[in-house]
Amino acid sequence: MKSKQIKIALRNCGHIDPERIEDYISYDGYAALGRCMFEDTPSSVTDKIKQSGLRGRGGGGFPTGKKWELCAASVSDKKYVICNADEGDPGAFMDRSVLEGDPHSVLEAMAICGYCIGADEGYIYIRAEYPLAIKRLKIAIAQAEEAGLLGDRIMGSDFSFKIRLKYGAGAFVCGEETALIKSMEGNRGEPIMKPPYPAQKGYMGKPTNVNNVETFANVAAILNRGAEWFSSIGTEGSKGTKVFALAGKVKNVGLVEVPMGTTLRELIYEIGGGIKSGKKFKAVQSGEPSGGCLTEKHLDTPIDYESLKAAGSMMGSGGMIVMDEDDCMVAVAKFYLEFIVEESCGKCVPCREGNKVLYNILDKITHGKGELSDLDKLKNFGNIIKSTSLCGLGQTAPNPVLSTLDNFYDEYYDHVVNKKCAAKQCRSLITYRIIEENCVGCGACKRVCPAEAISGELKQKHLIDQETCIKCGACIKKCRFNAIVVE
Amino acid sequence: MERINNYEQFKKSSSGIKKERESNSSKVIIKIAMATCSIASGAGPVFDLFKDEMPKQPKEFVLIPTGCLGLCHSEPTVEVTLPGSDPVVFGKVDVKRAGLIISDYIMKGKTVDCIIEGN
Repeated sequence: MKSKQIKIALRNCGHIDPERIEDYISYDGYAALGRCMFEDTPSSVTDKIKQSGLRGRGGGGFPTGKKWELCAASVSDKKYVICNADEGDPGAFMDRSVLEGDPHSVLEAMAICGYCIGADEGYIYIRAEYPLAIKRLKIAIAQAEEAGLLGDRIMGSDFSFKIRLKYGAGAFVCGEETALIKSMEGNRGEPIMKPPYPAQKGYMGKPTNVNNVETFANVAAILNRGAEWFSSIGTEGSKGTKVFALAGKVKNVGLVEVPMGTTLRELIYEIGGGIKSGKKFKAVQSGEPSGGCLTEKHLDTPIDYESLKAAGSMMGSGGMIVMDEDDCMVAVAKFYLEFIVEESCGKCVPCREGNKVLYNILDKITHGKGELSDLDKLKNFGNIIKSTSLCGLGQTAPNPVLSTLDNFYDEYYDHVVNKKCAAKQCRSLITYRIIEENCVGCGACKRVCPAEAISGELKQKHLIDQETCIKCGACIKKCRFNAIVVE
Repeated sequence: MERINNYEQFKKSSSGIKKERESNSSKVIIKIAMATCSIASGAGPVFDLFKDEMPKQPKEFVLIPTGCLGLCHSEPTVEVTLPGSDPVVFGKVDVKRAGLIISDYIMKGKTVDCIIEGN
């Protein structure tokens, strides 16, 4: 059932030994770099990337060739290439997989980019939490330098390119390119106003090209197989493939690479194998933590930058979380907001304060203290945060709230007006009750209850004291007679 | 590998390496996913078992630690290509299953029940 996949960025992952440069070379490794330097010119290589239609895979979707061209046009004695490997989204591991399985594909593409824009130095900004990826990158860099495929005068040409690693301390906002550059310079990881764009004034004030790991992983394949081949895959505006980390309530959790234009339904049901344990599909969130939650009616949406945006979500870097009937959408929105509140750098007010307000309202609702006017507030605040935040983090942060409000308004209404959580996830809104007819008085629930909230003599009907009950659900797991219900 | 000093040398060296890999097709090729996810689910001991046991078998083989195939739901995974056959991916391989893959699939060509279909 995985035949719908086409592997370009992941072409070598799982097939080569990432710690042997010969393995990479045996699959056309460094051939594209060689051809660029000896048979082609920087502008013609950039044109090929432009023609291929490759767009940034980190989430923004900016045309890669255009980005290179802008940086190449900047006049400076020094330029930099940066690979953004600060993969901080919860549940996403596309970049880690590429770096652990095929590090040379990223190194080769960075060198090609350096050749095109006129840079002789590159940095990989990588999370310190990825020790194996770091180890394999270090080995790859050392082997490539020893073989004369990186470093001074590559393959005896006039082009030199060195790559170094910089470690990120795991701040989500550092995935934003200006914050990433600030962090690399030794400052606080805070975004700055654009323009000037990094292509004009980036790392150390010099023109800098920042691309994501997956974007780079596509480059050598495009140059080896041709821009036309690449642009024949995908849709009108989104060419090639996209890697997704499929997670959540789906049977086949894993990393998949599908052509752009594949529908969410194909991805979840055919490749992902459908929903676990026969449950009903409820929602899918792409581009998390700041993407929107799409529903059943969106399942036939083709996966591409524009369609996902039109549907109220976004491509993002490739996280794809599937939710089933047991997930409470208000709680899901609250979970993502909690992440955002923790990760907001605090520089601009809308993001720092606004998201906290959103979080507090959601917290109130999940505790059964919400009012109808709160739903309007969520919408208003959400839209203000979106339109006034400084960087992409704040501009997209309210998406989970706004999209769940749009698509699951009934669920919010139920929480606020009826004080009910249909998915039975919000503890303040549920009660555990013993059904007298089914209870045989075995005492299993009473023994397991950590709050000692259950009373009753052996072989007598038991009772849960609602005041003492902490709603942990331990009793329901222990009961063998279906005598306990959640309401 | 040797240092590349010019483009001609690269092309020659590259095609040599390619030929070397292609010559492996007469051998049993065993690829074991060794990414963070695979190692966390127990690929280490499986790799060690292949490393220890395969040299005792009469068949020629290459053992390659790789990145992952993205099959998180079935890690640790092992891909075996017998000469002249299509690659077969085994999932949720522990030391016991690894032993069966060697004794039954690699040595006798018999199927083992942990094959992941249609990769």
